[in-house]
Amino acid sequence: MSTDVKASWVSARLPILAQAQVFFTERNLAREAPYLGLLPALITAALVFMAASGLVLSVYYNGGQGFSSLQFIDRDVSNGWLIHAFHETGTTMIFGAVFLYLFRGIFTRAYKAPGELVWIFGVAQFALLLLVGWLGYTLTDGAVSHWSLTTSADDATLLTGIPGAVATWFFGGPAGEGTLSRLVVFHTVLALAVFAIAALHYAGSKAIAPKVSGRQAVGFHPYYTSQYFVALVVFALIFSVLVFFAPHLGENPLNAGPADPLIVPAALTPPWYLAPLSAVQSVFPGIYGGIIGVVAALGVLFALPWLDRSGPNGRAGFVYKLLVVVLALDVIGLALAISAGPSAIAGILVLVFTVWYFLHFLVLTPLVTALEAE
Amino acid sequence: MAGTSVHAVGQEAESRRDFLKILTISGGVIGLGAIAWPFIDALGPDADGNAAAHMIVNVAAIAENTAIKVTWAGLPIYIRKLTAKQIADNEFVVPESLPDPASYTDRVKPGYESFVVVVGLNTGVPCELEGNDPSDTRGPFDGWVCPCDGSVYDPLGRVRSGPARKNLGIPRFTFLNDAQIQFG
Repeated sequence: MSTDVKASWVSARLPILAQAQVFFTERNLAREAPYLGLLPALITAALVFMAASGLVLSVYYNGGQGFSSLQFIDRDVSNGWLIHAFHETGTTMIFGAVFLYLFRGIFTRAYKAPGELVWIFGVAQFALLLLVGWLGYTLTDGAVSHWSLTTSADDATLLTGIPGAVATWFFGGPAGEGTLSRLVVFHTVLALAVFAIAALHYAGSKAIAPKVSGRQAVGFHPYYTSQYFVALVVFALIFSVLVFFAPHLGENPLNAGPADPLIVPAALTPPWYLAPLSAVQSVFPGIYGGIIGVVAALGVLFALPWLDRSGPNGRAGFVYKLLVVVLALDVIGLALAISAGPSAIAGILVLVFTVWYFLHFLVLTPLVTALEAE
Repeated sequence: MAGTSVHAVGQEAESRRDFLKILTISGGVIGLGAIAWPFIDALGPDADGNAAAHMIVNVAAIAENTAIKVTWAGLPIYIRKLTAKQIADNEFVVPESLPDPASYTDRVKPGYESFVVVVGLNTGVPCELEGNDPSDTRGPFDGWVCPCDGSVYDPLGRVRSGPARKNLGIPRFTFLNDAQIQFG
């Protein structure tokens, strides 16, 4: 009885508690959601984990001496090596989940009406995460990431007009003493902006979720809490295996050394999550080529709802699904080809895979979806 | 008969479910605690800071009648080795006759009575005191004097005269052995 009085006392002053209770217990959700449908929730959980580990790292990180301050974190801070490995492997987990989410969206045509906006939020989150991931990569201040930052900042000084103004504002001129200190701030602020996009994504996908009522409907608790719990445990299990057995997964081993402005390492290959985009980018020549490559590669993803010509009721055909699987292999191929380091064969493969990537979205997707819809 | 057995089975299932629920919740809480611990631990002092906060100083090399100055927690710390005469002069001073009453045993560690460890800042105007070296000005009690306001301290760091009204502070420290003291 006394708890009831207390609950009403609190909820009268804080109505959000009652709303939360309704959210968790009201029976208005469909049964049998697929486990892969929980990917956005897992991505958000991983983002929270990244924010927590990033907070600890930012306490000790010194942009003026990026590499040695990470060494200090690894060696002198209590459990610092673990927090560092959490942050490093958390990147792999987030990008793994985001790549899987995008391919599931393409494969199941989740981008089709009324899901266009949710899809666009998903791609926007991916784009922003790539930028945040690249900034975090430069903050390692390793032998390889140093050159990624230096060439980007140097190229940025050659841009003119509005892109040049934005780039100068972002990097503050050529890479130097203070660059990493300012990039820490951008890394943090943009990472928090990812949460904002995740919130939009959540609101959008809740709005288009099918409404269920009556005996078929189930409540969030305990029906979905237990499902989320299982998904989270599996996710955490993969995460801990990677943290403890492969903390540097998909990184260029040369980046384990400190940045040296006088020595260019033999292979300037990016971490795995940046590799596909880096490969597409490398195909386009010139200073603006890199930017065009990134914008085009992400642009076709944004435009996908309108590249699919199957109409509102078009069914997903076998050929389309096959093409999506080939696209997945194509993106893996892009990453592997660029990670193999510079060679004539790798250059040709990157070109072929890039052509196929754009061919898939700009030609094959409209064609196949239109043919299969009939 | 049948009804009671169904009822019994139902109760058993209920208690089993309760047990699983408690087990799951406690497992989850322990897991969350284990995850949270490295984050909390990492925000504690790092190895460098911890070592500096628990600095070890060798006092074996300090000559009688002199004091060394070390910096700990941002404060100048004076470590002084007393002569037999200084001990004899100060041992039986009646504490109540002093501006800030403190006995000889209050100012030294038992077993290591010839070492005085104090914060070397005047308790009036905060100035570093003079008198570490035998050739320095030490005032009438052979201790320390403040160059700023003229306060006079005895070798135990008790104030004897001057604007200052408090004895010199004694930092947290322990003797590890005859030769080493550790702060913090």
